[in-house]
Amino acid sequence: MTLIFVLMGTFLLIAVALIRRWQQIRFARHVHTLHHRYRPVLARLLSGARSAGGIEALRELPLADLELLFDPLFSQRKLTERQLVFLEALCADLGLIALWQSRSAAGHTATPLYSGDGTPGNHPGGAAGRYLLRAKSIRNLGKLRHRPSWPLLVNAVDDRHPDIQLLALRSLGAMGAPESFPFLRERLHAVVQRESTSPPLAGLQAAMVSFDLSCAPALLPSLRHPDRHLRLHAMEILRTMVGREAARQPRLILIQELLSPPVVDLLLTVLAVDLSAEVRARVADVIVFVADARATSVLHDLLIDRQWFVRLHTVRALSQWRQTTKPQHLEVGDCLHDPHWRVRETAIQTLISFGQKGRDHLYKHFLTSPDHNTRAQIVEVIERTGLMSVLVEEYSTGTKGVEALMVEYLASDTAPMGISGVLRTLEPESRKRFLDRFLPYAEATMRFPEETHTEMGSSLSLQQILEFPPHLAA
Amino acid sequence: MTYLRAILYDAVIGFNLVVLSYFFLGNGIYTILMLLSLRATWMHMREMTYQGLDAMRLSPMTPPVTIIIPAWNEQDVIVNSVRSALQVDYPDLQVIAVDDGSTDMTLDRLVKSFGLVEMDGAYHPTISTGSIRTYYINPAIPNLLVVSKVRGGKPDALNAGINLCRSPYFCNLDADCLLERDALLRLMDPIVNSDRETVVSGGIVRILNGCETKNSRVTKVGLPRTWLERFQVVEYLRSFLLGRTGWHLVGGTLIVSGALAVFHRATVIEAGGFSPDTVTEDMDLIVQLHQWAADNNRRIHMSFTSDPVCWTECPSTLARLANQRRRWQLGLCQTLWKHYEILFRRKYGIVGCVSFPFHAYVEGLGAVVEFLGYFLIPLGILFGMVSPGLLLVFILLGFIYGGFLSVGAVLLEELNYRRYPRLRDLMTLLVFAVFENVGYRQLVLYFRFQGVLKFLAGSRRWEKVAHIGAIAEG
Repeated sequence: MTLIFVLMGTFLLIAVALIRRWQQIRFARHVHTLHHRYRPVLARLLSGARSAGGIEALRELPLADLELLFDPLFSQRKLTERQLVFLEALCADLGLIALWQSRSAAGHTATPLYSGDGTPGNHPGGAAGRYLLRAKSIRNLGKLRHRPSWPLLVNAVDDRHPDIQLLALRSLGAMGAPESFPFLRERLHAVVQRESTSPPLAGLQAAMVSFDLSCAPALLPSLRHPDRHLRLHAMEILRTMVGREAARQPRLILIQELLSPPVVDLLLTVLAVDLSAEVRARVADVIVFVADARATSVLHDLLIDRQWFVRLHTVRALSQWRQTTKPQHLEVGDCLHDPHWRVRETAIQTLISFGQKGRDHLYKHFLTSPDHNTRAQIVEVIERTGLMSVLVEEYSTGTKGVEALMVEYLASDTAPMGISGVLRTLEPESRKRFLDRFLPYAEATMRFPEETHTEMGSSLSLQQILEFPPHLAA
Repeated sequence: MTYLRAILYDAVIGFNLVVLSYFFLGNGIYTILMLLSLRATWMHMREMTYQGLDAMRLSPMTPPVTIIIPAWNEQDVIVNSVRSALQVDYPDLQVIAVDDGSTDMTLDRLVKSFGLVEMDGAYHPTISTGSIRTYYINPAIPNLLVVSKVRGGKPDALNAGINLCRSPYFCNLDADCLLERDALLRLMDPIVNSDRETVVSGGIVRILNGCETKNSRVTKVGLPRTWLERFQVVEYLRSFLLGRTGWHLVGGTLIVSGALAVFHRATVIEAGGFSPDTVTEDMDLIVQLHQWAADNNRRIHMSFTSDPVCWTECPSTLARLANQRRRWQLGLCQTLWKHYEILFRRKYGIVGCVSFPFHAYVEGLGAVVEFLGYFLIPLGILFGMVSPGLLLVFILLGFIYGGFLSVGAVLLEELNYRRYPRLRDLMTLLVFAVFENVGYRQLVLYFRFQGVLKFLAGSRRWEKVAHIGAIAEG
């Protein structure tokens, strides 16, 4: 009997697989026909061309087919701002936005529209199928950034299904309606303080960081909260918002008004000395953008924090320093002596990002430091960032100064691999020029190892480098 | 004589009971896993229709990842493998290829293909490894680092990669694999969108034989030509779609393929990194992580998703298949033996009470039980202790039930992924699924039995599987 049951089960599975394939083929044909006929019309309308006939043709389609036609626009393609405007107008005109709103509001009672076999009308998935339609509706409203729909999406954040919650959060993030931010903050409080287990914290954070920086003052209650976990999450959200803004505006310097004075005060006076090192670590990422006289001293304190990862975050954040007030390279230079190698490595990268002044400081440290490990790290970063190629090319063109001395040290002692690797990639002419200049130096090194740097090499002596001559410090 | 006969009788009856328990336990649990997997993969694929990957791709919260590719004598495949890793669609990606002292042209081909130059690196090992000989970079490809180290085995190469990586997560990728463009985003999805501390995320390995490739990417999916490879396609589907998905759902993940998995770097370092004690370092690390987490009261989560795909070449000859399966079985036995203290300990939860014992009995000891069964049961018939009719029914049931599970795996593939677009391929897969248990299963069983014997003999030798060049041709 068992044998027969298993045999029947096997045949049943085979039948299901084949029927499913057949259904899919039919469905794919239907979608293909639809796209073949209407995609040119849709493309024309999205390009902004007026086409009353095109809209009429689309109006004649059942809503289910319209959704099928529009679905790739929401799930795959990246649309330009201009296309989004036309798409929103078109969806509103065709009644799709109203449909998606009603589905988002109605929850699981929304009317099913489409069947898997290509026939509009009945959805075979029952409740599960309706949930799928609801999920897609919420996604579409978010993609369109349809701001009037934010209250519906805030409600959907409390849906019983975690996927709907996540999608609603994403859509709210994409819309960025400032009115919805305080609702999200309240949910953040509930989740972090374990008053509620939903929505998912990761989704909540990802949504909140998508909002405009002007929403940051709404985070004040979280940043001031006695719960350190809440302060940490709020700080993480704030620094990511600032990071996004900085990526968008390369010259971003936050004046107090943009971030609001209470937030700036809180950052500089309370959060920078927070008991939680995790919170302190994230403060520097915001402070580097704050145009406030107190910022420099706060950053200085963070650079000598007792926790290595606070120092690491701070020194990394300083690579974003865009203010013309006191330059930070000397403080970052101190981090080259840090006991933790990650801090030293980041300090090297930050100094390089400071431009000529930072690089000069780095070269000076390299040429004078007895610490072999830090020197090896400097060499590694110089090679990985491609700075070695620049140094070698400049040397071959006859530049003098600290860079020339650096190349001679690297080539003769610390980084023979890197130098020879770069030489191999140089043009023959440049390579020849390099060797013409370097070989006499190398020959002299072998004969008079003590005197070489002053006699034959670059025009600067080691003593001059130690004193950091004015023309380099300028 | 009567006394001897009685002992023999008892032994054969006892063994038959062991075989019966093996049969019912193995098939019973796999049936449950199949039902769970059917639902879970169905849900997951439906989620992907509305969630997409854009949110992760664009989110500033998506953490950086480093792909580590250990390679030893992989001259035919390494370039395409590294190229496929570099082509992966991920916002912040580094690739580190670790040449583990190859004696062939592996390193030369990497250097030539990617225009690498030697550099002077600084090594800060947090896990002790063999020393690094040379570092290679190309400043024009800043996210690629190639290192050459002294031969220390795959775990040592992976540990060296972990030491070199700076990102919070790393993905290990076998040198004979091609990654799909969105595989990393899909792998990171359960990590980023989960509120649990997800430290491992595994993906699926599919068979490349029979597929067409271009520019290190699979362009057309098809079935391989030979029966041996086709049986392996079915076997992989069953193993990944049914077994691993199912175990993940019940929280009993014991194996995540080392060919494609993402790990949380700090956790792996805390757990001691990859161990050279076994020849299947991937499984060993997973069990080690479970043990470490339970011993240190850490609540960690491991995820398995079946849509991040990497393509690999499967053995096309019996000799290569034998090498591979012997090694897998040897590694399984070594890992189970190394961590035997987990067995039936409540402290280790589902892993200690269900998953580990199941793997020990059905996958480890099962190779011996099933292999000996093919000889001892006929002996029982010979001595008149077992009814031939009953035996025939039992064997038929075994074959058909095995076919039922394999067809179930093909159905899972068809319902959710449909990677084999041609109807003829689906029919072929179904036919091979039905007949997989007649002949092929016994063949693999023989190799697994040899693996157990190697374990008992104390072997630790890595049997390398040569490639036919399916990746190299791309």
